[in-house]
Amino acid sequence: MTLQIIDNATCTFCGCVCDDIQLHHDEVRIHEAKKACVLGTAYFLNHTAEKKYPDALIDGKEATVEEAVQTAATLLHEADMPLVYGLSNTTCEAQKLCVAMADQLGGLLDSHTSL
Amino acid sequence: MTCTLGEVKQRADFIVYWGGNPAECHPRHFTKYTIMQKSKFLPRGRKDRTMVMVDIRETKSAKAANIFLQVKPGKDFELITILRALIKDQQVGDEQIAETGLTREALDDLVQRMKSCKFGCFFFGMGLSMTRGKHMNSAALLTLAAEMNAFTKFVAMPMRGHGNVTGADVIMRWQTGYPFGITFNRGYPRYNPGEFSTVDVLVRGDCDAAFIIGADPGATMPQPAINHLKRIPTICLDPHVTHTSKLARVHITTAAQGISAPGTAYRMDEIPMPLKPALKSPYPTDEEVVRRINEAIAQKPFWLPEGSQPQMISTQV
Ligand code: SF4
Repeated sequence: MTLQIIDNATCTFCGCVCDDIQLHHDEVRIHEAKKACVLGTAYFLNHTAEKKYPDALIDGKEATVEEAVQTAATLLHEADMPLVYGLSNTTCEAQKLCVAMADQLGGLLDSHTSL
Repeated sequence: MTCTLGEVKQRADFIVYWGGNPAECHPRHFTKYTIMQKSKFLPRGRKDRTMVMVDIRETKSAKAANIFLQVKPGKDFELITILRALIKDQQVGDEQIAETGLTREALDDLVQRMKSCKFGCFFFGMGLSMTRGKHMNSAALLTLAAEMNAFTKFVAMPMRGHGNVTGADVIMRWQTGYPFGITFNRGYPRYNPGEFSTVDVLVRGDCDAAFIIGADPGATMPQPAINHLKRIPTICLDPHVTHTSKLARVHITTAAQGISAPGTAYRMDEIPMPLKPALKSPYPTDEEVVRRINEAIAQKPFWLPEGSQPQMISTQV
């Protein structure tokens, strides 16, 4: 089977954010990440498009995304001082929405930087 | 005083790594941006550049350096202060130098090299900014870099770690005016690391719910903080079922950034990079899930009494 090739893909594993990676993939997994270092290669090869995990878990039980979204919103809304934390392994678009969430909730907002 | 990695690649002939291990944590930093590249101004590449490594132990990165300076643990601030004095030809006592674990000859040589280079750059890692002195160390190093500009061009740049932490700083600065450690509990953003930073909040047990995205505090935080996360309702978004997901009330699996989720990520020198996802994930992206949670929250009454909702940040920009 021939693999599809993506040129100049971006690796986000470390702060170097190398943007010259060549990915060879078959739509399910990435078979080769040219130019990437050991860490980057491991990152690309370990993530697949397979369904390895349940969509969502509520109290350890499988649930749909919609149920989980509603439960999350209720729990966060009920809290007096909710915390929004992390924001490192995600995109800027999602980070912007997280700021909006903390604002809407009147909560705390913090990233990895403060560690 | 900083610059982009592109400038470092083109021009920096003197590079100091302070308290970090780029050979193992940022493997392509040397080859792609700093010491190995040839450029118009440094045509001989590695031969035209000098690399100094300052660290408390000899790591793999030290082997790549021309000069390795082993500083005593916790003495970085003292060493930077001594360098600040030496570049201005001020007197420094022998016992002060001995305290850092280095010799006067080594420091004189370093100062002479710093002054005679054309473009110098400090890269500082967690070994500087997370040990005794913390942000005071970073501040001292930035001051040293600024003061070096009386003699030659000098810049300093933090070596940022995982993924898109730089993006988090940039986005929070853009949206709220502050980079991290923020609270909205008066309806407008306030900043106070130590009070509103997560470890402190969790260890004191201040918050009563947590929304965790793109991080795994269940694996990295101190135990009292993890215990508090277990006590309160925690919501976790991650491409994997992580330690945090296991202690969380709600876990939602999302697509991995750059692999199956599109978007933007910031490089450590604050250059935004578009992501090129190769795969299609069966899971929604972080962006989509957060938007849906936000919409669900917006359906509920605002937390301040009726009629007193301030203008939300998201409507302003
Ligand atoms: S390829 Fe290696 S150096 Fe480049 S961003 Fe990925 S992990 Fe970092």
